[in-house]
Amino acid sequence: MVIAAIAGTMFGPFAAAQTAKPAEADGPILGARAVSPTAAFNIVNPAGSVRIIGWDNDSIVVRGRIAPGERFYFLGGREGMKFGMYDQAANQPMRPAQFVIYVPKRSTVSPKTVSADISATDVSGVFNSVSGAIRIRGSATSIEAESINGGLDVDVAAPWVHARTGQGHLLVRGTPQDVDAATIGGTLDVASPAILRGRFASVSGDIHYVGQPAWGGIFEFSNHSGAVDFLFPRTTSARLELSSVVGLIENGFDRVRPAAVGPHSLRINLGRGDAQITARTFKGVIRLRPE
Amino acid sequence: MNAPRHLTEEDRQTVADGTLDPQRSEEIAAHLGVCASCAADVARLEKLMRRLHDAPVASAPSSAPLDEMWSDIRARIEQTKIVPLAPLGLAGAVTDRTAAVRRRSLWLSASLAAAAVIFIIFERMPRGAQPDDSAPASNGIPMSVVAESSRVYEQEANTLLNDLELQRSLLRPQTAEAIDHDLRIIDQAIAELKDAIAHDPNNRSLRQLLASSYRQKVELLKRAGITG
Repeated sequence: MVIAAIAGTMFGPFAAAQTAKPAEADGPILGARAVSPTAAFNIVNPAGSVRIIGWDNDSIVVRGRIAPGERFYFLGGREGMKFGMYDQAANQPMRPAQFVIYVPKRSTVSPKTVSADISATDVSGVFNSVSGAIRIRGSATSIEAESINGGLDVDVAAPWVHARTGQGHLLVRGTPQDVDAATIGGTLDVASPAILRGRFASVSGDIHYVGQPAWGGIFEFSNHSGAVDFLFPRTTSARLELSSVVGLIENGFDRVRPAAVGPHSLRINLGRGDAQITARTFKGVIRLRPE
Repeated sequence: MNAPRHLTEEDRQTVADGTLDPQRSEEIAAHLGVCASCAADVARLEKLMRRLHDAPVASAPSSAPLDEMWSDIRARIEQTKIVPLAPLGLAGAVTDRTAAVRRRSLWLSASLAAAAVIFIIFERMPRGAQPDDSAPASNGIPMSVVAESSRVYEQEANTLLNDLELQRSLLRPQTAEAIDHDLRIIDQAIAELKDAIAHDPNNRSLRQLLASSYRQKVELLKRAGITG
């Protein structure tokens, strides 16, 4: 699949790293202690990488490597901790540090980086980066991932996902239920059959939705100058309302008679019309294509 | 030649607000003459301080009694009201708690009844009907609400922009550049939408797209505040 190929190119190095087990290969232990299973962790690492793994132990272990002369802090108690690198001043060069962090699965993490990539498995939380890539997978109760211009790959089973980036590529897959995802100029790819409520927006980046929308799902797509592309199986059951102020609407389901057609609008029912999809753009093209 | 050291945050602030020690003015002016980064930063701070200085001052003194302040608050609510406020006499009768509770119950009942009627009307509307811009949008949101949400987002964006200017000197250059780039894209979209709305003020899609663009702008500025 095209989206899988894109994700593989973007996050290939992460995929290899994710399979690693807790080991000395991850570096020496920087900090460890017993914590509550629902503890919260604030993590700061401006440059390098942060890998977070949820495990079934009520403890936190931080392994990693930091540059000589850099200072690492590890503070807090059972219910909450903060740890990471002391942030350098804005005009100082950043020396990379690599963290591998094991936390209880029910805990909440809040990693914050500048250029460091973040990858997380089986944890919930709020993920922030300026330009680092963020990849989240596994199960979670809620995910909020935001980057100024880094790429985001959210591949989770979660009731709630909120994802934002500026110029980065944003990919939503897995089995999230409620999704609110947006980019400014970056491409937004959605490939999940499980989304029940979805809001997807961009200003100038293209939005691609691939797959069968869930029965009873409600989706809203909004774009200014980027395209909105739907690639649906022929068995799709959805009611679509597509409109563009000055952009074109291309309908590839030519065997289905539209309910209403205007110069820049299209209303069409595919199958029984179980999912409800609204898409609007200012000048971006809207394409509806069968797989 | 070595690159000149940048001015400290304190120096930049004192230059911008005119409280710089005169003995250091020559040295600072010389640096600003050769350092575009510091000069741009000081110019931004000066602009911000001018804006703060020119901002209207609240007319009611902080010690004014609540009754006197109410007329100002009321006037401001009236400017943006959708439903007219009750006559002033009612607002003053705060001691009659029973009457107030009764009034609240009546309003609640009336609101629930109205909501039920609206729900039934929308549920019975034919789904295959041709789109009509004079009716509420397909998602049931009236035009006035869509326009109002744009206005609220715009106000919030302006507040956040001021906050961003205040902390700009603390941002890494690459971060500031990325944020400015994204802001330009959004502002261009907003300008195009406003222009289109000026020609077609009743187009609901345009209003919804404008609200969406402002929302993107607010979120970007909030993101800048968190990650920056």
